[in-house]
Amino acid sequence: MRMQCLDTKFFTSSTSLAPIQLPSRMETHLWYVIPNEVKSEQLLNKYLEFLPKSEKEHVFSLRGDELQKGALLARALVRTTIARYQINQVSPRSLKFRKNIHGKPEVDWQQIEDWHPQQLHFNISHTKSLVACGVSTHNPIGIDIEEKERKIKHSISSFAKRYFSQQEVQLLCSISDPEIQRQEFIKLWTLKEAYVKALGRGFSGSPFQTLTIRSVADSKESFHLSESSSFENSDIVVESLEDSANLTGDWQFALLELVGSHYAAICLRKDCANKCSHPMKMSVWRTIPLVEDEYVSGTDSVIAVGGLM
Amino acid sequence: MATFTASSLSFTSLSISLDQNKGLARGSVSLPAKAKSFGALTLRSAPMRFRVSCAAKPETVEKVCEIVKKQLALPATTEVSGDSKFAALGADSLDTVEIVMGLEEEFGISVEEESAQTIATVQDAADLIEKLCEKKE
Repeated sequence: MRMQCLDTKFFTSSTSLAPIQLPSRMETHLWYVIPNEVKSEQLLNKYLEFLPKSEKEHVFSLRGDELQKGALLARALVRTTIARYQINQVSPRSLKFRKNIHGKPEVDWQQIEDWHPQQLHFNISHTKSLVACGVSTHNPIGIDIEEKERKIKHSISSFAKRYFSQQEVQLLCSISDPEIQRQEFIKLWTLKEAYVKALGRGFSGSPFQTLTIRSVADSKESFHLSESSSFENSDIVVESLEDSANLTGDWQFALLELVGSHYAAICLRKDCANKCSHPMKMSVWRTIPLVEDEYVSGTDSVIAVGGLM
Repeated sequence: MATFTASSLSFTSLSISLDQNKGLARGSVSLPAKAKSFGALTLRSAPMRFRVSCAAKPETVEKVCEIVKKQLALPATTEVSGDSKFAALGADSLDTVEIVMGLEEEFGISVEEESAQTIATVQDAADLIEKLCEKKE
C-alpha cells in the first residue's frame, strides 16, 4: 500500500505513462526504445528505481556501460509498458515477474492485490541499438529483433546446416547474392527465434532444426522462395518434419523492418476461436518511458515484410 | 609454471580463476613434466592432471576464453575467465549458438541443444567439452 502511494505521487508529476487499452485477442502491440535517445542520467536513475534489488544486481553484473544501459532499458520498458495497461492498479515498481518452468519470463499476477489480469502476455528482445517489447492478450507471444547489418562469424551455409532445416538450407544456399543471402538469413533467424520464445520452452525444447519457416504467396499456393520474392508482404507459414500440428498450425508470424535498422519478427499463438490464416494486426509505438510516446504504425519506422495487415 | 614450497603450491602465471572466497575451488592444475618428489607427493614423469574438482583443464578454459573473445569481438585485454558469464560479456542468442559452433569445430565434438542450453559460463562450456571429449575416447 505504502509503495503504491509513493508511486501515485510520482505519476501526478509531469512525467507519466499514458494509459492505453489492452490489445484485442488477435492483435499485438509492439513498443520500442532507442537507447541513443535516452541520454539523461536523471531519467536512467528513475528507471533504476523501478527495479527490485535482484534486477538491479543483474543490470550491474553486465560488463560495460552499454550493456548495463541496454539491460536497464529492457527492464524499464517491460515494467512501464505493462503498467500502462492498468494504470490505476499497478505501478512499474510493484510488478513482480517470475519464470515458467522452462525459463520464460512472465508476470506474477498473484502478488498484486485486487488485480484480475486479462491474461497479458509479453516478450522482450534487444540489440545494442534497440530494445523492444511485444504485448498480447490471451495468446502467448514471442519477439526477436536483430540489426539488419548483423554479420555472423561463420559462413551462412555452415551456420544454416548446423541449425536450420534442410529446406531452409537449400533455400538460403540458392541465393547467389551474398548480401541478399545474409539478409534472408537474419530474417529467418529472427522468425525462428520468435517462435522459440513464443513457445516458451527454450531452444532445446523447441523443434528448431526440424521446423521450416517460409513465405507463401497471397494466392495461397505454396512455392519456394526465390531471390526476388523472399518474404515479401505475404503469409509466413511454418511446417514441421515431425507430426506436431499443435506446434506449427497454431502460430502466426509477422516480420517487419523497424526504424530502418532492424528486422523484427513476432510470433503469436492463434486465437482458439479463429484458426484460419490472416495477417496480424499490430500497433507499434516508439517510446521514451515517462517522457514521450509516438505511434509509428504506418510511418517509415515500421515497414511490413511479411504476415502483416 | 608451478613451484612447490614445503607447505603450499604457488602459481606464477596460470590461467585459472580463483574465487577469492572459496580459494582454489575450481580449476585443475597441470604440473610440469619433470619428475619430482616432495614428501608424500610423488610426481610421475608424464604431465599429470591434478584435479581439484571434476573441472576442465586450464588449457580448455583458455581455449574457450579465446573463442568467446573472438566471437564477441572483445579487446584482447578484456578479462575473461572461467567464471565469466556469456550474457554478461554481451553474448546474445545468436552469439551463443555461434560460440557453441566454434567450440564444436575447435574440439571436434558435437553438442546437443539440451546441453548447450545449460552453458552459462566459460567454465560450464569447458567442463562440457571435456566430458564430450572423454566420451569420444
